[in-house]
Amino acid sequence: MRHQYPFSYFSHLAAAAVLMASCAAQAQDAAPGPAWTFGGYGSLGIVHADYDQADFVTSVLKPDGVGYTRPFNLSNDSRIAAQLGVKVDKKWSAVVQVLLERRYDYSYKPTIEWANVKYQATPDLALRVGRIALPIFIGADYRKVGYAYPWVRTPVEVYGGMPITNSDGADVSYRWRAFGMKHVTQAFYGGTEITLTDTTNVKASGLAGVSHTAEVGALSVRASVFGATVNTNVARALFDGFRQFGPPGVAIADRYDVIDKRIAAATVGVNYDPGKWFLMSEIGYMNGHSFLAKTHAMYVSAGYRAGPFTTYGTYSKVKARDPNRHPGLSLEGLPPPYANAAMQLNGGLNHLLQAIPTQDTYTAGVRWDFLPSMAFKLQYDHVTPRHGSRGSLINSQPGFRSGRTVHVTSAVLDFVF
Amino acid sequence: MRISPFTCLAVALALAAPLATAGELVVIVSARSPVSVLRQDQVADIFLGQIANFPGGLEAVALDQRIGSPERDEFYAKVTAKSPPLVKAYWSKMIFTGRGQPPREVAGSAAIRKLVAENPSLIGYIDKSALDPSVKAVLLVR
Repeated sequence: MRHQYPFSYFSHLAAAAVLMASCAAQAQDAAPGPAWTFGGYGSLGIVHADYDQADFVTSVLKPDGVGYTRPFNLSNDSRIAAQLGVKVDKKWSAVVQVLLERRYDYSYKPTIEWANVKYQATPDLALRVGRIALPIFIGADYRKVGYAYPWVRTPVEVYGGMPITNSDGADVSYRWRAFGMKHVTQAFYGGTEITLTDTTNVKASGLAGVSHTAEVGALSVRASVFGATVNTNVARALFDGFRQFGPPGVAIADRYDVIDKRIAAATVGVNYDPGKWFLMSEIGYMNGHSFLAKTHAMYVSAGYRAGPFTTYGTYSKVKARDPNRHPGLSLEGLPPPYANAAMQLNGGLNHLLQAIPTQDTYTAGVRWDFLPSMAFKLQYDHVTPRHGSRGSLINSQPGFRSGRTVHVTSAVLDFVF
Repeated sequence: MRISPFTCLAVALALAAPLATAGELVVIVSARSPVSVLRQDQVADIFLGQIANFPGGLEAVALDQRIGSPERDEFYAKVTAKSPPLVKAYWSKMIFTGRGQPPREVAGSAAIRKLVAENPSLIGYIDKSALDPSVKAVLLVR
């Protein structure tokens, strides 16, 4: 996941922010000087799938997965990140996080996951400017920090629909108390650009949303809504083809191509964690008015902790609310070369629409906290794409059959430092 | 995760100190602090970085016992219902989403008592046997 800005641009920006913050610290006589923090997290994962007609992928931003391309994959769940922070005084701080993981272009080029300057206006009111983690689902902002959650990965049905993890802009968060509960309300505005390959990308602008978290005792509830204007040219060639076929083709292209499409999403999540066990559930709704289709997704997960072991089970599903088929262009009356081209375009469109996810997964796993900052997890997923959808499978081969269950086994070593 | 002289001190003292088991723990503030009593959930909020002030508005800054110490493990188990890995996972979420940093570590009840006594903003937890008039107990950890 590479952002439009060259790496060096953002590292300079981040370095400048951190330096500025440290100079500001020296200007303050009373302050004890800036407090620097350094830390990081990482995961080393291996995943196996028993299917050779498609690849199971852990994120749509991975170029390939496991199953068809190879029986074992080391890159889908593996990553490492480092974070440098400086706290100048009670009000000013800055942070930069650099992440290494396999990207859509097969490279491991480092990305700035986030880099921002924070102004703590009051103990309860904070403003940040820069690249900021997006707080959409309960775990969306820390989904890459495997150590922070019980599973090998966040449920693909729910989190896979929202691969954007950060935004360049600003946010404000306010902590308050009412009705015997603790509340955090966060509003954010920004945009992002994800470069997929040299010629394809995803751009989101006017990315705005609100996230609200309420906590009482062991219970935590988060609701969020967000919207963005999205453009992506990943399927532009296909839709440009349709546009050659006059009004019916243009209508199809306008319906499905992602040009200035307003994407809306809403999520509600509940987490109950008294320590000995946990119960967690989230539901999400997304509509992209395009081949990024209208979907409903949910999961329920429960776990029990005994000593260093946490055993857990999860049921998750995503259901397309838009058809994942389209009759395409009518071939009637078209001269043979045009009919042939139209047929190919129709095939391409339906292949694309097969990616609109309908899928359910049963998961069982165990987490073993065998060292103070290290956990080992073993997980089995019973993944079934349905109703003609490929679900979270890519690189489907002619023998691919929707409805066939894929058995996925994963092991991961998560750590923080 | 935090690089500070206190961490170095904590490590040095950890190596020097004999192994101990936690006795009864008390949460303390300076004898000069206006705070006289805190509920368990209020203490949990301060130590988990969920609130930055004592009731009444005075700034609250938590001090932790050193990592792996019996006092620390017992404190978090009883006050926040979190085992050491859960506390670590909690702070991983906070740190790597930019929402906070864990309390600074100080080695041993005597060192914590000394710092807390000098600064009404500080709050710590120590062995009950280490109490003296320079600090006051605001919660008995059960």
